[in-house]
Amino acid sequence: MKKIFTPLQIVDSKTVVTLVVVQLAIALGFWQILGGELLPTPTKVLSAIFATVVSPSFFDDFFASLGLTLQGMSISLFIALVVSYMSLVPVFKPLADFMVKCRYLTLTGLIFVFTLYTHDGHQLKISLLIFGIVPFFVTSFLSVIAAINTQEYELCKTLRMSNWRTLLEVVIIGKLDQVLEVLRQNFAIAWMMITMVEGLSMSEGGLGTMLIKSSKYINMANVFAVLFIIFMIGVLFDYLLGKARHWLFPYTKINVR
Amino acid sequence: MEFTREKVLLKAENINLKYGENHILRDINLEIQNITRPNLNQGQVISLIGRSGIGKTQLFKILSGLNKPTTGKVLIGEDLHPVQAGEVGIIPQNYILFNHRSIFSNLKLGLDNCEKPHTEEEKKTIIHEHAKLFDLEQHLNKYPQQLSGGQRQRVSIIQQVLTGNKFLLFDEPFSGLDALMIDKVTDLLLKVSLLHEHNTLIIVSHDIESCLAISDTAWIIANQQGQQGATITEMIDLVHLGLAWRSDIRLDKQFIELVANMKYKL
Repeated sequence: MKKIFTPLQIVDSKTVVTLVVVQLAIALGFWQILGGELLPTPTKVLSAIFATVVSPSFFDDFFASLGLTLQGMSISLFIALVVSYMSLVPVFKPLADFMVKCRYLTLTGLIFVFTLYTHDGHQLKISLLIFGIVPFFVTSFLSVIAAINTQEYELCKTLRMSNWRTLLEVVIIGKLDQVLEVLRQNFAIAWMMITMVEGLSMSEGGLGTMLIKSSKYINMANVFAVLFIIFMIGVLFDYLLGKARHWLFPYTKINVR
Repeated sequence: MEFTREKVLLKAENINLKYGENHILRDINLEIQNITRPNLNQGQVISLIGRSGIGKTQLFKILSGLNKPTTGKVLIGEDLHPVQAGEVGIIPQNYILFNHRSIFSNLKLGLDNCEKPHTEEEKKTIIHEHAKLFDLEQHLNKYPQQLSGGQRQRVSIIQQVLTGNKFLLFDEPFSGLDALMIDKVTDLLLKVSLLHEHNTLIIVSHDIESCLAISDTAWIIANQQGQQGATITEMIDLVHLGLAWRSDIRLDKQFIELVANMKYKL
């Protein structure tokens, strides 16, 4: 018992599960007690989740959001990887540094510009998603590159590799597992942004559209239901990407502690 | 003990290294000659001994062609051409390997870039032969993180040997090892030196006894009073002193005295 209150202690998986279950039960208990008129109780939210999932448009909305996210993520990932890898070539370094700083640009002021340059709602949403995600991807990738031990580059030199071959071996192949980790960490940003961009053009539907409609009619149980669904899908993707990393790159599973 | 000193294999001329106003290395000159012994295929083992933080690793990188000195040059090979990165293998203190590759794949990288081209089948045979020689055969399918420090050191050495580099630089190979492990590493280094007549092992270390016990030549790198930057203050010809190539050297009275005297020279 004392162990769980002591820093740097390693607890077994059974204890971890117990801690999660107990803390979840306490949180739900408090929520049920404190819930009322404004804050819907867990039981009300649960029934709203069920109603939402069985509604005829749910899967259309779900796949619209998922498709948009995956499309936006794939394009963003490609752009971010190219920019990050090329940052090691001096001529491209300023571009990568600028993209990192773009995290501080707010999308709100640029929506009008994007609207002018895109042909339909889908293009607008994808463009905004890419513009919003790429700077975060590039920032994460550059920190992965910066953390590379310089001795790895030196090893390549002693093995007579060219500079391009060194880039391929150390950065591209060597850190491929980190791409999935960065993707996992930044999926949350993309998933969070999806609800925002879907609100700009509701013609294609989506979970964001569902959320905005529920908020508009102050149907809080529905709002919480959609939020919960979005949350759970995010957690599921987080888990799947983590598993995929271990499956594709078995050396990441080796515990060196 | 019969031996002949032949051609110069590596030469450092007037090496100086400065970072701003900070003089790290000063006027370093050294020569490594090919030593031949009748009926024996043996390379050279040279030690660069100096205190921690004196600039040994900087010299190590300059000798391997990874870093350029502020002034001076390093010449290598029978034609004494300026050293290029890739001509000298390095085995760093922390035995860097590619963690995303298996041991077999790490070793194959050495062969992929060696001067003599090999077929995939030949590469496989060569890797297995070397793995067997260095007791690593059962670890070829593992990843570097799954090996002990000693095993990683052996992989790191073979990887460099497979590139065909005759010059191998070892950064502190005895650091943090107990007496038993030091003996094992000493045997390992001797094994590598015996692989080829031109194999030249340069050991950079602060461990005087272990270095002298294995070397044929040793250089002391130290600071001189009133002058900035470390330089070579003494060269010890262990062959000439009759203290080289002897397995029982650590018990020799002259050797023990030499080690004791050296401590005051660093």
